[in-house]
Amino acid sequence: MLVPGITYNSLPTSLRLRLRPHPQNVAVSVSVSSQHSNNQNYSISDQQLRSRGFNLRRTFSDLNLDHLNSIFVAVGFPRRDPDKIRLALENTDTLLWVEDEKTKRPVAFARATGDGVFNAIIWDVVVDPSFQGIGLGKAVMERLVTELLRKGITNIALYSEPRVLGFYRPLGFVADPDGIRGMVYSRKQKKR
Amino acid sequence: VLDQLSFPNNLNCGLALAPQRRKVKVCRLRTSFWESIRSGFQKNNTTQVIETASSSPEEEELLPDEFVLVEKTEPDGAIVQIIFSFGGEVDVYDLQALCDKVGWPRRPLSKLAAALKNSYMVAALHLVRKPTKTEGSEEKRLIGMARATSDHAFNATIWDVLVDPAYQGQGLGKALIEKLIRALLQRDIGNITLFADSQVVEFYRNLGFEPDPEGIKGMFWYPKY
Repeated sequence: MLVPGITYNSLPTSLRLRLRPHPQNVAVSVSVSSQHSNNQNYSISDQQLRSRGFNLRRTFSDLNLDHLNSIFVAVGFPRRDPDKIRLALENTDTLLWVEDEKTKRPVAFARATGDGVFNAIIWDVVVDPSFQGIGLGKAVMERLVTELLRKGITNIALYSEPRVLGFYRPLGFVADPDGIRGMVYSRKQKKR
Repeated sequence: VLDQLSFPNNLNCGLALAPQRRKVKVCRLRTSFWESIRSGFQKNNTTQVIETASSSPEEEELLPDEFVLVEKTEPDGAIVQIIFSFGGEVDVYDLQALCDKVGWPRRPLSKLAAALKNSYMVAALHLVRKPTKTEGSEEKRLIGMARATSDHAFNATIWDVLVDPAYQGQGLGKALIEKLIRALLQRDIGNITLFADSQVVEFYRNLGFEPDPEGIKGMFWYPKY
């Protein structure tokens, strides 16, 4: 599923993303060109995040997995085995988290897995409830998508709980395009 | 990247059913399940359908990397087998030819190779024809594939499921997915997902997949549609 009209300059370090969404016809012409990061067309710029005491992080070396686990639990995900979390992160191509400068704790997180060329799926998009509503989820998502596009991956998907469909739609995500359905395997479900 | 294009396609090492070369085992599969496979071959009492008892993935021993799904002896004595494998031994040229056969748009070979390499599991079906003593070498043909990407811990997503049109309608697609699921569950990957075109939602429902579980929706970023 390729978005028509994408042109890339070679190896941009950061990107300006210009989107002209069409309400009826979701075929979009996207042009991506290299720019310096302070011209980035994000809702909140890197600079603004920094000035509010938040650092953007793109590797998990300094990420405290117990703290991440606490956010998972706080938003209603199951608490997970930290060793399994580490294994998952080691096998995740792209991730982003927001660090609270004061406490060094993660306050927002998202990651994407995939085959590195055609498809990517975004998982575990979370914002600490105490930090929700100030644009951190959007900040993480915009940058994650930009990074995937920079890598040449244009088929970007995710699974959204019904209550956050409205969060993903303004970011450019469409549910069930052309009747494509997300499906999940259930052991109890199987017809014998 | 070009190195990845030359996957081994040597007919002699392709299968290696000799026990010392490869972990190959004839896997016994459920009779009822393989009725459809059996009927796909000509009605011929030299067709052997290999049967198994059913059990949950955790109780079974680990699926071998490669095993014979169906075996049949032709009138001239040649043995034809459909081999299931998930070691990732898929020749990228074979794959492109298969994608052509099902009518998928062409993708660059180098990207196909990279996608295979970056997939957690690549399940393949090969048709192998072993001639009688009087004939030449073994023929091996890719007739089906499915692959899954994964974080190796929690989630896996199945992509690119295809079966050669000449071999469709025999339950091979079902077999591919069933085995792939079993292999993933045996590796403790609990969340197995996929995105299904509307016309194949029923196919996957019959294999145990549920669309929009608890209202959870698949979403795509600015899709072409």
